[in-house]
Amino acid sequence: MVRSKINHNNTGYWFIAPFVIGFLVFGLYPVYNTIALSFTDTTLMKADSNFIAFKNFERLFADKTFLTAIKNTWTLWIMNFIPQIGIALLLSVWFTSNRLKIKGGGIWRMLFYLPNLLMPAAIAALFFSLFSFYGPVNQFLVRGGYIPEAVDFIRSPSVMRGLVVFIQWWMWFGQTTILIMAGMTSISLSLYEAAVMDGANTWKMFRYITAPLIKPVLVYVLVTSLVGGMQMFDIPMLLTDGRGSPANSILTNNILMYMKFRSSQGHIGAASSVGVVVFIMTSFVSLLIFYLLREKSDEKMAKGN
Amino acid sequence: MKRLSMIFSVLIVLSMILTACTTPATPTEGPVAQAPATEVPAVEEPAAATEVPAAVEPAAGKTVLNVWSFTNEILTMAVAFEKTHPDVDVVYTMIPMTNGEYQTKLMATLGTDAVPDVVALEAAFVKSYVESDFLADLSDLMPYAKELKMYPFVYEVGTYDGITKAYAYQATPGALFYRRSLAKEYFGTDDPVEIQKILGDMDKYTQAAAVVKEKSGGNTYMVASNGDFMNLFYANREQPWVVDNTLTVDPMVDKLIETAKAFRDNGYEAKATQWQEGWFAGMNDSLVDAEGNPKKIFSYFLPTWGLPYVLAPNATSADKSTTTVGDWGVIAGPLPYQWGGTWLGVMKETSKMDLAKEFVRFCTLDEENLTNWATGVYTNEYLKAIDPNVPDSQYQAAGDFVGSQVVVEKILPSFDNSEMSAFLGGQNSYGGFAAAAPSVNARLMQGSDDAIQRALNDPLNSYLEGTVTLDEMWQLWKDAVRNEFPDLDIP
Repeated sequence: MVRSKINHNNTGYWFIAPFVIGFLVFGLYPVYNTIALSFTDTTLMKADSNFIAFKNFERLFADKTFLTAIKNTWTLWIMNFIPQIGIALLLSVWFTSNRLKIKGGGIWRMLFYLPNLLMPAAIAALFFSLFSFYGPVNQFLVRGGYIPEAVDFIRSPSVMRGLVVFIQWWMWFGQTTILIMAGMTSISLSLYEAAVMDGANTWKMFRYITAPLIKPVLVYVLVTSLVGGMQMFDIPMLLTDGRGSPANSILTNNILMYMKFRSSQGHIGAASSVGVVVFIMTSFVSLLIFYLLREKSDEKMAKGN
Repeated sequence: MKRLSMIFSVLIVLSMILTACTTPATPTEGPVAQAPATEVPAVEEPAAATEVPAAVEPAAGKTVLNVWSFTNEILTMAVAFEKTHPDVDVVYTMIPMTNGEYQTKLMATLGTDAVPDVVALEAAFVKSYVESDFLADLSDLMPYAKELKMYPFVYEVGTYDGITKAYAYQATPGALFYRRSLAKEYFGTDDPVEIQKILGDMDKYTQAAAVVKEKSGGNTYMVASNGDFMNLFYANREQPWVVDNTLTVDPMVDKLIETAKAFRDNGYEAKATQWQEGWFAGMNDSLVDAEGNPKKIFSYFLPTWGLPYVLAPNATSADKSTTTVGDWGVIAGPLPYQWGGTWLGVMKETSKMDLAKEFVRFCTLDEENLTNWATGVYTNEYLKAIDPNVPDSQYQAAGDFVGSQVVVEKILPSFDNSEMSAFLGGQNSYGGFAAAAPSVNARLMQGSDDAIQRALNDPLNSYLEGTVTLDEMWQLWKDAVRNEFPDLDIP
């Protein structure tokens, strides 16, 4: 055949080339550059910069603000992730259940997902106005006799933390629900039928069929949420003064990094060091999650062989 | 194989994490709670268009001058400049600074060949540029500044180490606006001269606050927020924040803390937040507390641009039921200060140094241009006659307070019957600022001021609420400053 003159053995490389090039330029290079910058005192307002080894990191860990930011980021993420995954699991079970047969699943899914499409800036501005000292929440509570006098919610660390957690939960539970539902609907119905035959109740079916089979989806949800959570930025940044006020209660890793970046000198070296620490922390925890939730059956099979 | 692909995908995920880490996703400078005051006029200016960036195509056969700014204000002068310099084409690029885009873009182009010839610099960041090596020395324009009797603080801001690198067409001295009807009720007079005597320094202002509270039965607050008077204390320090690379606290800052505490504890301030609903509501008497009781605000500290762009547009409530138009008076106030403003500088790397300098001279140090600018000569028709492509919304209304004392004195009488003077109950709007401007001092201004002062807001409020002690407040502030200025010595 004439066609065989062209060698197709290497065609595959052309197909993956766009990804590889994109990854090298937009993925790997920035990683390298960030790590390189974090060992210098580079600023945007000075042409020269010096290698200062681990000085940026020493300063970071001597600085209480950084430890506060890490603690805040973890608190805010965990407090929004637990209800998020809980509600998402519950909704997914309901909407995929053969017994309940809820109608209009698609519409519900869309409604759950809608908050995710709103602009964070608009949501933050909305909640700020609602909870401000002269805002409607205070008016409602005081005029209804629930509290004796107006409270400055914007200055209350617990209220502001609660708001960030709530907004993050509200924006992201739909996304998680959709992912988990997709995982659940891919489980073969025959498994449930067999379980019903054997007299299993709803809880047992969830525990022994659904849960193990959606584990890969859960790992995915957990890791992507962790990655997103460690970079939490827009809502806490826009909700108050952009500096994590009140009392640094909603100061996250990325707000801290941005504050260093946009300071009058543009300390990008110091800002990079925050990025590097967040990178190491997130990588370590992600790998730990992969390790703890690994497929145990693989190992058994390997041992058997 | 499975393990390999797993490792690979993990690596990809991780690299994505870090990529996202290094580039702050949405550079958003304008915080919701304490939006930098100076950004507001940029938003509300009548000439400010929304499209970005509004670069105009260069015309053939002309010398191109690249000018960057964060409002459309200077475009008016750029067009006027083309009238007197027909062989020049000013290519004007507007990048908004609402969320810090302008500062980020400008910082990122420093040291590259994409830098413009002339840059507009706002008060919050002008000093960092003046202190840097990126701006050209414009000291040889100083004779023009002397001739026009520029207010000293205007060029002090543009000067570092004896070298002047930036000039401004406007001066933005601060003043105190008060409600005439309330002044009559509590002090028996609404005459600006008498009121200035009653509120002549900060101690008198605090005493007057007590009178206002007592005579109004607690229904009128002296001031809407403690953010209102912070600038006054900062402007009257005797040492800058940074002395020999060491963070320094001037006694005036202690005085600020004391005053803010007294205002909070005694209920002299309305606990509103600057640039937020309650703060604006006080300007038109529509402020009500949570129970629905009406509350009034006696005075606001605002600079020149605050009158046409902040106070006047907010003096009538949204439903038109309450208005305070004509019920305001203006005085120099307890302490001289300045707030905001736009400076012009030339980038050192420009290849058109002479032309760029001439542009800065024309905009900031040209008597005719400044007069036209302040008296409303630059109408849309005027600009269209020079360049038909000028947008319909482009013009400069009369009333901007210019930096030259010579021009101010010349045009002062023309404002006797202006709209803003009617707003002030017949008081010449220009006159109030002309009285305040000569005593303003900006020698202490440094590039790091904005960040250092912002860092104090949150700890100060915690202290006022009683959640931290005074010592803890200073410690929190120092931690926050250290975070943004890693090289600074903090005692």
